[in-house]
Amino acid sequence: MADISRRALLKAAGVMGVAALPQAITPARPASASAQPATYLFLNSEEASFLEAAVSRLIPDDDEWPGALQAGVANYIDKQLAGAWGAGERLYRSGPWRPGTASQGYQLPFTPAELFRASIGAINKALSQAGTPFARMSAEQQDAYLARLETGDKDLGGVPSGVFFEHLWESTIEGFFSDPVYGGNRDMVAWRMIGFPGAYASYYDLIDQHGIKIDRAPTSIGEGPHGGMHMNPSIPAKLP
Amino acid sequence: MSAGPLALNHLNVGVTAGIGILCLGVAAAQSPVREPIAARGAVIAAQGAAGGAPACAQCHAYNGASDGSGAFPRLAGQSASYLAKELRDYASGVRTNAVMTPIAKGLSPDDTADVAAYYANVNAPYLPLASPDPLLIKRGEQLATNGDAAMELQSCNNCHGPGGAGELPAIPYLAGQYAHYIAFQLTMWQRGFRNNSPDAMADIAKRLGAQDIAAVAAYYQQVDASALAATQPAK
Amino acid sequence: MPQRLKHVDVVTIGVGLTGSLTALELAKTGLKVVGLERGAPRFTVPDFQSPAIHDELRFSIRKAMMQDNVREAVTFRNSSDESALPIRRWASFLPGTGLGGSFVHWNGQTFRFQAADFIYKTHIEQRYGKKILDPDLTIQDWGVTYGELEPHFDRFEYLLGTSGRAGNIRGTLHAGGNPFEAPRAREYPTPPMKEPYFGALFRKGAESLGYHPYPQPSSNLSQPYTNPEGLSLQQCVFCGFCERYACEHFAKASPQTVILPVLLKNPNYELRTGCQVLRINLDNTGKKATGVTYADASGREFEQPADLVLLTAFPLNNVRMLLLSGIGKPYDSKTGKGVVGRNYTYQTTGGATVFLDDSVNVNPFMASGANGTMIDDFGGDNFDHGPLGFIGGQYVGAIMTGGRPIEFHPTPPGTPKWGLKWKQAVARHYNHAVLVQQHGTSTASRLNYLDLDPTYRDAWGLPLLRMTFDFPENDVRMSQYIADKVVEIGRAMGGKTVIRGGTKRPYTSTVYQSTHNCGGAVMGEDPTTSVVNRYLQCWDVPNVFSIGASAFPQNGSYNYSGTIGALTYWAIEAIKNQYLKSPGPLVHG
Repeated sequence: MADISRRALLKAAGVMGVAALPQAITPARPASASAQPATYLFLNSEEASFLEAAVSRLIPDDDEWPGALQAGVANYIDKQLAGAWGAGERLYRSGPWRPGTASQGYQLPFTPAELFRASIGAINKALSQAGTPFARMSAEQQDAYLARLETGDKDLGGVPSGVFFEHLWESTIEGFFSDPVYGGNRDMVAWRMIGFPGAYASYYDLIDQHGIKIDRAPTSIGEGPHGGMHMNPSIPAKLP
Repeated sequence: MSAGPLALNHLNVGVTAGIGILCLGVAAAQSPVREPIAARGAVIAAQGAAGGAPACAQCHAYNGASDGSGAFPRLAGQSASYLAKELRDYASGVRTNAVMTPIAKGLSPDDTADVAAYYANVNAPYLPLASPDPLLIKRGEQLATNGDAAMELQSCNNCHGPGGAGELPAIPYLAGQYAHYIAFQLTMWQRGFRNNSPDAMADIAKRLGAQDIAAVAAYYQQVDASALAATQPAK
Repeated sequence: MPQRLKHVDVVTIGVGLTGSLTALELAKTGLKVVGLERGAPRFTVPDFQSPAIHDELRFSIRKAMMQDNVREAVTFRNSSDESALPIRRWASFLPGTGLGGSFVHWNGQTFRFQAADFIYKTHIEQRYGKKILDPDLTIQDWGVTYGELEPHFDRFEYLLGTSGRAGNIRGTLHAGGNPFEAPRAREYPTPPMKEPYFGALFRKGAESLGYHPYPQPSSNLSQPYTNPEGLSLQQCVFCGFCERYACEHFAKASPQTVILPVLLKNPNYELRTGCQVLRINLDNTGKKATGVTYADASGREFEQPADLVLLTAFPLNNVRMLLLSGIGKPYDSKTGKGVVGRNYTYQTTGGATVFLDDSVNVNPFMASGANGTMIDDFGGDNFDHGPLGFIGGQYVGAIMTGGRPIEFHPTPPGTPKWGLKWKQAVARHYNHAVLVQQHGTSTASRLNYLDLDPTYRDAWGLPLLRMTFDFPENDVRMSQYIADKVVEIGRAMGGKTVIRGGTKRPYTSTVYQSTHNCGGAVMGEDPTTSVVNRYLQCWDVPNVFSIGASAFPQNGSYNYSGTIGALTYWAIEAIKNQYLKSPGPLVHG
């Protein structure tokens, strides 16, 4: 659906010359770009290695749009774990600790930081003993391993693997789609991918132009003035 | 960016029909079906239109910088959708202006779309203007970015975007716009003479005193022009 | 020993909608009123301005405006034979905190309950006989009628400036409005909001099936408005950040926009924020409140003597405060005796996701919290339940409150939960899906109730509230019946794929459903089945009024704020015109 996917842009740039493109809808990253080097505050190098590889499989890179790693999701999760959220902000943390039913929700004593550390530590230990760390597996092996974490109740240092997977996946979604001020969604790639216009949002004159196509470059809370936008006039404003 | 000469032969021509496709906001319901042609709009801006409209450049300059007096707004890089809507509103009498109404009536629907597309895609230097009182700018910045609790007034940037860069396609930029023009329009809303915007504009204008109107106008005029670079085609 | 403060006439526990509205009216009469708010003060300028207010992670996901569960949670279980455990992070419902309460982050959906809702037991038994009721259901009448409340609904809507279109003015039906609504005295204060594309698609689909679509009544305003207090509201710009957010535009009715600027100027009123009320104090007869004890933000305890104590907190916290203070007899689910905590109800929600053709640009991010298009053909008792074997109903509508992507990224059935195919499906469908919501009645059952938890405590050392709740089978049958109708509507809208919704058991605390927690301190005419009388006055302690949705004997089809507002005005008038003239019980039980 994305009219200005990277591929379309490169095609357009080929016709008009890159310089003619408004800055904000230039490709999200050069074709050769790899992960943004992150300065990790919480993760140690082994934890980071697992997390980077895992988010790369949860939301992979492809020809159209960058994946979670390129979008800075590992950096986002690191910053969250290093800060108040990691330390248990907004989490009721008094015992006694008892296992509950599914409808009672999370009942472990771990803060998010403790939960990631315990789980990733257990995964890394088991896989290094087995001979192949997660980051060195093939993509298919990684997917199969993550699927086992998701559906299994393997004990990861006290954390059932399904609980860890749920935290990992929720954090990945957050890092992919949240405002870039939090360190993920780099260059607002996830917002460009779906066409979400971002933090500056005022649509009084547009809401009754039904079916209008909006491809405005998004704006972040922390960002300066936004870039170009076009509405495709060939898409009619009437009910199908 | 320094101010350049305004002769008509000093053009920023990164304008092609192709950019028109990429960047134009066109209110689909009321617009011609064909895609706007910015290059045709450039001819109208320079020479006028067959229907009798004189050249836009006479007042707004060919590059859309107008003359700096503030009697005529800056058009360069303004939202095409907004420019076209204003021209339609002048033509229909929804927005009234003794000069602009007959001009807009002399533009066909295609002319309107094309000339809007043209000005939306030109880049123009910012003219050197006298610096207003820093305290006035400070007050204007507060209103623009934060509003005023006692006046129950929200920030202008809530709708006009970061730094007043506008929110394409419907909401025009204020950054770098001439203070006299902004102040005059706020007064028009305040007194009920401008009625072609969301109702909020009149309500907001009525909350502002003369000093605050001057402040907010002075602030936006001096917002760094480079803040708008992203909304314009690079040369 | 708490420091004893100077006596005042009235104290409100909580300064949200009901706390600010009662204070506004009583301070006008000359009474000295103190408002105790546990959270922080906050105002449209500078606290709610964009772009910082448009932060989905902070407000929607981390829930910055909600009660801090580190200090104060609720324990939960589906049935009384389970052990309740703390809801350690809010998900299913989101009690607000801070000045203005939940009425800051609400969506602005402003309905009136229907006439039959207020005489529910009488109405159902007359129309269908007692046999239609499952044996565990404990529905009852409110003790107040729609006719008595109508002027108060009207007054509340004009305070808020609500945008809508009347369907029934004094018995005459008006095209374009809701033909099922109870008669109103006059038109809404402001016209309906603009209809978004998702609403127009729903309208077309619903009309093709013979239903009666109408614009959702909204207190995010369609045009500027000045209310009877002289306070003015702006026009909503459809920013898509409404529920869980505060409004930067002065466009959403909230205490900050329609009440507080006047109240805070009244010298008879004093607002104290950061004050956590620990209990209502009773004299040695246990029949009279002497005031409240609270801890301020630095933990110091104060005793605030007052003649009249108004419980104006979130419904769950009203019930908890009554239990902590020993006011009213706690409900015992084994014997069915006792009243405090009885008839806790919720809301049946859910709905369908309708996937449209890729050429249909829905633009879900252009939305207010309340500009849906909806039908009431399946609301309340608007259809014949006789052959169906359940009571209650739901409104149905295309009500999308924004396209914020952490929360909203629908994928059709068969899409993997993660990986490349998931990503591609999200990119493809984001702008081409419509949520059609079901939202309806929650029937009271003897099995569902609130009491104090025996184990878990808050940061002040007091027992947490314990919630025992599951949807009664009646409500599941009702919701599943309507889910089928919603799928038909979704197809009539042009849906290529429709994911069916509907309520299921067990109720889970882990998925957001609604913040319409109701009951537990219900109103009525019989002290053995209600905590407060028809004026929201506690039967057992007549100088305590418990105001808000905690008084609903069961929940109706609609979002409850409009009915809370009407009930609040109703109680205020009773206090002003009856109680103050002769303090004591207004009804003898």
